[in-house]
Amino acid sequence: MSSRIALYPGCSLEGTSSSFETSVAAVFEKLGIEYDTLKDWNCCGATSAHALDHELYMALNLRNLSLAEEQGYEEIFAPCAACYHRLASANLELSNNADLADALKSETGLNYRGSVKVRNVLDLLTNVVGRERIEAAIEVPLSGIRVACYYGCLNTRIPRSDCFDDREYPMSMDRIVTALGAEVIDWSYKTECCGASLFMTAPAASAKLCGRILKDAEARDVNCIAVACPLCQNNLDAKQEEIRAKAGIPRAIPVVFITQLMGLAYGIDERHLQLESSIVPFNLKPAGATT
Amino acid sequence: MSTETNLAAKGGSVTETDNASLCYQCSRCSAGCPLAEEMDLLPHQVIHLLSLGEEDEVLRSNTMWMCAGCYTCATRCPNDIDITTIMDEARAKAIAKGIKCPNPDVLTFHKSFLRDLGRRGRIFEMRMMAENNICKGKPFDNADLGRKLFLKGRLKIFPPKSLRGFKRWMKELLKR
Ligand code: SF4
Ligand code: SF4
Repeated sequence: MSSRIALYPGCSLEGTSSSFETSVAAVFEKLGIEYDTLKDWNCCGATSAHALDHELYMALNLRNLSLAEEQGYEEIFAPCAACYHRLASANLELSNNADLADALKSETGLNYRGSVKVRNVLDLLTNVVGRERIEAAIEVPLSGIRVACYYGCLNTRIPRSDCFDDREYPMSMDRIVTALGAEVIDWSYKTECCGASLFMTAPAASAKLCGRILKDAEARDVNCIAVACPLCQNNLDAKQEEIRAKAGIPRAIPVVFITQLMGLAYGIDERHLQLESSIVPFNLKPAGATT
Repeated sequence: MSTETNLAAKGGSVTETDNASLCYQCSRCSAGCPLAEEMDLLPHQVIHLLSLGEEDEVLRSNTMWMCAGCYTCATRCPNDIDITTIMDEARAKAIAKGIKCPNPDVLTFHKSFLRDLGRRGRIFEMRMMAENNICKGKPFDNADLGRKLFLKGRLKIFPPKSLRGFKRWMKELLKR
């Protein structure tokens, strides 16, 4: 791999979802993928900036893209699906709308030539790392574990662009999980929304959506749901007890980051994977594990 | 720039810069909208009203405030209409016109978030959540959630690094 890659952690990975960052770091080290953390990055604006002020959202992301270019990176990878969506959409709009791009550049004093490519963790694992390397690092195959791969909304939904995977029925995460030796299921909620920031602002509506997702996963007898977004993880995990009570779901379902599952298969010390930071305990031992 | 889009600030119609007039009312957007059941107007009705120039009815609805921004509609529209961004524009325009927000908690949250963002350039989740509670007048909202996250070590008690010059940069930006 020749191009230099910068990690854009974003606020969640530095805060409530640090398990995503530590598991990404541990897994990438094992895979021998080198990256640096983007210096001086700012918040992408999450939902709030674009919800109220399109130009503010564009400016915030222009700043991060310019930083990456200045610091000599050809690619940014953003594990958080919301950060990924903001960075990639802004990147696209900057290249498609020259008037807006020029206006923003002169307002912000930032120069950006548009040379940076933005990827999420599924794209990077699928198209840069590749299945062969993912398989080669396995020490403890995850045999006997059934996984529902949940992609959520923002990993595959950048309008008017080519997607790294199928938008409606993505398979990139399923292929990774299968490579790890686990069993994936076919289900109806792969890309259904968990409510995103409505979790905070309209909790009843978000709980309804999460209830349906959890119910379908539970009915298909999975051991866990794998995600690649801190919002998905938080929304399905943090209030699961209440959601289950309301939706009548008989058993708890752990919600884990894809990189935490990979870490388990790679025999990485659980402390680096921060499995204990989830609200619903995740203590699955693959059939092949010795302890 | 303030809390409105350029477009809304110029007083233009929210459909002006988008291709909403291409809509042929197939309703694909509404069929896939996960929040449809919470909305006064369905997404395809929003687009229809906007292309007819009936903007006020849209701006008074709760639709854009219940929109989760999932982009299902925008990626499925056969005419490439970015309905999600139109929802953003409608929100900005409703604020600019001083229309009362039917779901004030949504607006309060976004404002708390942006205020916190403007302080350091990165979000300090604990403070942002506490401030949001105070602003919406529900000081103990999500206290149980906060406690759970805190006990798991997920709610950091120290603020993130403050980016040099960011506060001023963003202030300047919002002034325009
Ligand atoms: S999907 Fe597009 S064309 Fe169909 S109703 Fe919605 S906006 Fe109109
Ligand atoms: S972006 Fe908003 S309007 Fe469109 S499908 Fe999602 S929730 Fe519905």
